[in-house]
Amino acid sequence: MDDFLKATEAMIAAWHGVTAPNEQGRRLADDLQGIIRNFARLRGTIAFEEEPSSFEAALQATKDGA
Amino acid sequence: MTDLAALSLTEAAEAVCTGQATSRALLDACWTNWEKANPAINATIWLDRAGAEAAADAADAAVRAGKSLGRPLGKLHGVPMAHKDMYYQAGRPCTCGSALRRDFVPTYTCTVLARMAEAGAYSFGGLNMSEFAQSPTGHNKTFGNCRNPWDGSHITGGSSSGSGAAVAARMSYAALGSDTGGSIRLPAAACGVTGIKPTQTRVSRYGVMPLSFSHDNVGPLARTARDCARILSVIAGHDANDLTSAHEPVPDYEAALDGDLRGMRIGITETYFLDGADAPVLAAMEAAAKVLAGRGAIISQIKLPLMDAVSTYGGIVSRVEAATIHAQWMRDDPQAYGAHVSGRMYPGYAIPTPYYIESLSRRGPILKAFAADVFSQVDVLLNPTIRTCLPTLEETDMDNGPPGTEHRFLAVSANCRAYNYLGLPAISVNCGIDPNGLPIGLQIAGRPFAEARILKVADAYQRDTDFHNRIPPVLA
Repeated sequence: MDDFLKATEAMIAAWHGVTAPNEQGRRLADDLQGIIRNFARLRGTIAFEEEPSSFEAALQATKDGA
Repeated sequence: MTDLAALSLTEAAEAVCTGQATSRALLDACWTNWEKANPAINATIWLDRAGAEAAADAADAAVRAGKSLGRPLGKLHGVPMAHKDMYYQAGRPCTCGSALRRDFVPTYTCTVLARMAEAGAYSFGGLNMSEFAQSPTGHNKTFGNCRNPWDGSHITGGSSSGSGAAVAARMSYAALGSDTGGSIRLPAAACGVTGIKPTQTRVSRYGVMPLSFSHDNVGPLARTARDCARILSVIAGHDANDLTSAHEPVPDYEAALDGDLRGMRIGITETYFLDGADAPVLAAMEAAAKVLAGRGAIISQIKLPLMDAVSTYGGIVSRVEAATIHAQWMRDDPQAYGAHVSGRMYPGYAIPTPYYIESLSRRGPILKAFAADVFSQVDVLLNPTIRTCLPTLEETDMDNGPPGTEHRFLAVSANCRAYNYLGLPAISVNCGIDPNGLPIGLQIAGRPFAEARILKVADAYQRDTDFHNRIPPVLA
């Protein structure tokens, strides 16, 4: 088991009291490394939105005739 | 098959209200097809036959009383339906497709079914679904896999598997599904029926089992776009019990269905949605575009912006919310879930909160940027609902499947998930039959609250084609 998966399982158990239900869960937890890479690639590409309810506002702002 | 079961929902409602058919006769037609098809497709989890027959008789009595007293009848008067088994009804079972809720009986009724009842409809059962709405295929270890009415070895699509199968097999005139990453559109595509995911916030979710609060949507599967328009007109609109529902006025969706597509700008996505698409699926979509062009639509190619961000952020939001909702059961009884369901939820607990908040905070700006780019060029987007020809249950069995299963499993919903993060409305209609005899779905998406426009395009397509009227072999 690699260090990332060991640390991930320990963190989930400590913070949530949940243990890996099966090997599929462990494998998918290990795959989180890909999500971290994807997330890192997106850094700086889109500004952080400070306003509350921004998504609901965007729905209104982008509808027909808005 | 009886003629009454062949009616669309709007035709069935008309038949009852004008006295051409009784509600009881419609219900009997549904029972006949249930007895014929359900042993092969396993679309229902429970039935309330006595309750439905009483409701049918009451609907027929109301028609008789209405005639003498001049009372108006509801838009869905006397139409029997069954729904995905995750809509709460006081005193009736609601399994959510899981052993964990096998004995759950809600004490209150969801807003959408209350509104449908007010419009004259009644429900006769709970339909099969993926466990807790968490799979795009229709596998279910507790209640058995739902099977495709066109070929029982193939998937129905999910998670609203029973909704797609029951409507296709003419066991129900329509059925509610739910859509968090394609769960209305996928079974609509796989079973050859019509299904619409409305704009996020368009329909109340009060009394509906949650999977991901940010991405969950309620909507109908039915035989035609007009049927979907009818149901949406009943269930859409603000609900004081669900403060996330929009105050946006509900238009007359059926009035928009005029078949006139002159000047409508339709964009076929050049990349992303077509990556790895099978040739028969591409051919069906191109043929559908020609049909729409024949009604005056202007077809063009378009590149979609920001899809990597949509995919990454959307995946984080769904994973974290599902994991949070299921945390207690995942602590107490994780083995009660199907292995792939608990396995897929597990990593959600490791995603840091800042990732989740950042993913949510990006949603508004991404929608604005996407809409500014895309909807300045086109009015609606066109793409296959499922990129590939429909796989079999065995090929997508995450718990027991052969090598490559996960790739095929994820490919099923690849073309739907983006519209959940973006919050856009999207509809799937049947646009062809693949070489294995299974339906092919065409997805039409539009701006926020543009349900009338995408229904109009879908209806125009169905005016010139007959795929939506084809009867699956299970009824032969």
